[in-house]
Parts: sequence; C-alpha cells; structure tokens
Amino acid sequence: MDEITEKQDPKYSFSDYWPSIGIVGAIFSLITFVGGLFFGYQQINSEPSGSFLSPFMISSGVLCLVSSIAGLIAVWHFTREVSPVLKLGQGAVIGFLTGAVIVVVSVLLSELWILLVDPEYNEKMLESVIANFEAMDMPQSTKDDMIDAMAESIESQQSIFRQIFIGIPITGLINLVTALIGVAIFAEKKQNDF
Amino acid sequence: MVRLKHFRFYFGVLISLVVMLFLSLGGGPWGAERSIGHWTGALFQNVCHQNPERSLLFSGVPMAVNSRCFGVFSGLLAGWLLIPALTRLTSKKPWELWLLLLAVIVQIIDYTGNLFQLWENTNMSRTVLGLFLGMAASMAVFRLFKPINKKITDHG
Repeated sequence: MDEITEKQDPKYSFSDYWPSIGIVGAIFSLITFVGGLFFGYQQINSEPSGSFLSPFMISSGVLCLVSSIAGLIAVWHFTREVSPVLKLGQGAVIGFLTGAVIVVVSVLLSELWILLVDPEYNEKMLESVIANFEAMDMPQSTKDDMIDAMAESIESQQSIFRQIFIGIPITGLINLVTALIGVAIFAEKKQNDF
Repeated sequence: MVRLKHFRFYFGVLISLVVMLFLSLGGGPWGAERSIGHWTGALFQNVCHQNPERSLLFSGVPMAVNSRCFGVFSGLLAGWLLIPALTRLTSKKPWELWLLLLAVIVQIIDYTGNLFQLWENTNMSRTVLGLFLGMAASMAVFRLFKPINKKITDHG
C-alpha cells in the first residue's frame, strides 16, 4: 500500500535531484564553455570577412540551442538513475536549476580562463568582432551602432555576480520548458493521466 | 467547467512567459535608444547573439533578441495559451511530439541552408519558423495538464 502511494505521489529530497542537476549542468557548461572558446579563437584568428555568419555569430546560435536542451536531458537522467516517476513541478525544478548551474559554472569557467590563461581574451574578441563589422556591407551609422553596442555589451560583463544574477532567469525558464518536455517524454505515466 | 490539472503551475509559467516576451522587446518600451547595453539586452545575452541587423524593431529600436528567438518566445506563449483547448482533445497518439520533432528538423534545415548559402533566410522567415518551434515546444506538454476524468457520483 505504501509503495503504491509512494509511486503515485513521489516525494524527493534535494539530494535526489542534485546528481542529475549537477552532472548534466556541469557537462553542458563545459560544452558551452569549450565550444565558446573554440569559436571564439576561430573568430580571433580569422580575417574579417564581413559575413554575418562569423564564428562568433554561429557559436551564439548553436551553443544557445545546445544549452537549452539541458533541462530535458537532466529529466531523462533523473528518470534513468533515480526514479521513473516524476511529477510536473519536480521536473520544472530540475530544469530551472540545471539552467542555473549552467550559468554559474560557465561564468566561473570563463572568469578563470581570463584570469589564469588569457587575460586579453575579451579585448582580442572585441577587436575581431569590430573588424568584422567594419568589413560588412551596410550603412556606416548601422555599423557604428553595432560596434558601440558590442563594446558596451562586452564591457558590461565585468561583474561575476551581475552575469550570474542576470543570466539565470531566462536560461532557467528555457530549461524549465524543455524539462517539462522531458517529463512528457520520459516520466512514467499513471493510467488515469493520459 | 473542468479546471486544468496543475492550474497554479500553468498560470505561473504563463505569467513568466508573458514577462519574458515583454522583456525581449528590449529597450524600446523603456525609451532607450538601444537594446544591447540596456538591462533588457543583458538579460538575453546568454541565449541570443542579439545582432541588430537580424532583429525586429520595436518603437524604432532593435529588440533584445533576434527575430528567430522572438519567434520562439512568442510561440512558447501562444502554444502555452492553447494548452487548455488542447486538453479537450481525445487522441491518444503522441502527435505533439512528432510536431515538435518536425519543428526542430525544419529549424536545422533552415539554419544549415543559410549557413552553406543555399538560400538566405529573412527576419520574417526566421520569426515564422521560430514561432513554429516555440508553439510546438509548448504544445508538447499539454497532456501533463489534462484533467483526470472522474465519473461524478454525487452532487455534493
């Protein structure tokens, strides 16, 4: 009887969620960090082509899509490793926190890279992106706007806490939605649920 | 009237999606000249390349996200609003997951074709395809909100 109740109304502690959130969050942080560096150095070492599809732009699109499915993967991990029974709200918590872990770890890794390995990374990146904008075929006023905006954007990333605080809500919400898709696909359905 | 299962959760996510969509409009509604560098732009810099040339304008200011991301966010909200209607469907086949798969494949094809210069997508095409993906993503979870069918045996 207890077992049936437990299965229909599962209650988990944070330590049950943590492995899925931590492992998947850390893996996706590493993927986005390494992918970002790869495309970043490709951008820095490339000649300005004037193309919109520069390594920097490609990496922004691809890495965003990759990191947004972390919530779904974290739910899949939970249903495989902890319990196949997972309620909607529990999946949402896993998704949101996985997004938060991705933001925190990615920011810390980026800061460590700049602190210990390449202190001039941001400056080199900025110069390269500006050079690419300069080579683009568009009105000078638009170019100036884009360059100013890009410079402001990179300069505004100075505070670790600001990056974390401002990065978590949107990344968390997107991963929450993909985690719900994970619940729909991977969690065990009760007879009367569908 | 049958109430959605997990109604409060549904409503909470609905509010979050409305707020996210509004903030994605960028600095325009706040009277700023730009979105990048504005706090609304900073909110989305982890999830979007924010290229002003690939963004729609709001009040003459490029939005905080590009046209595809704006389409996705709009679609997430539109699909979420459709969930109460979808819960009335009786089909047991998981068509919504096939729809999501199709939306993802279409995105990949569009992105790849543009990358290899087979065609050039536009702000409009990116918005529409993003809208399709966002709607499909929200609709994929509608069964989680389906009210449990119970036979009413008393009138109390």
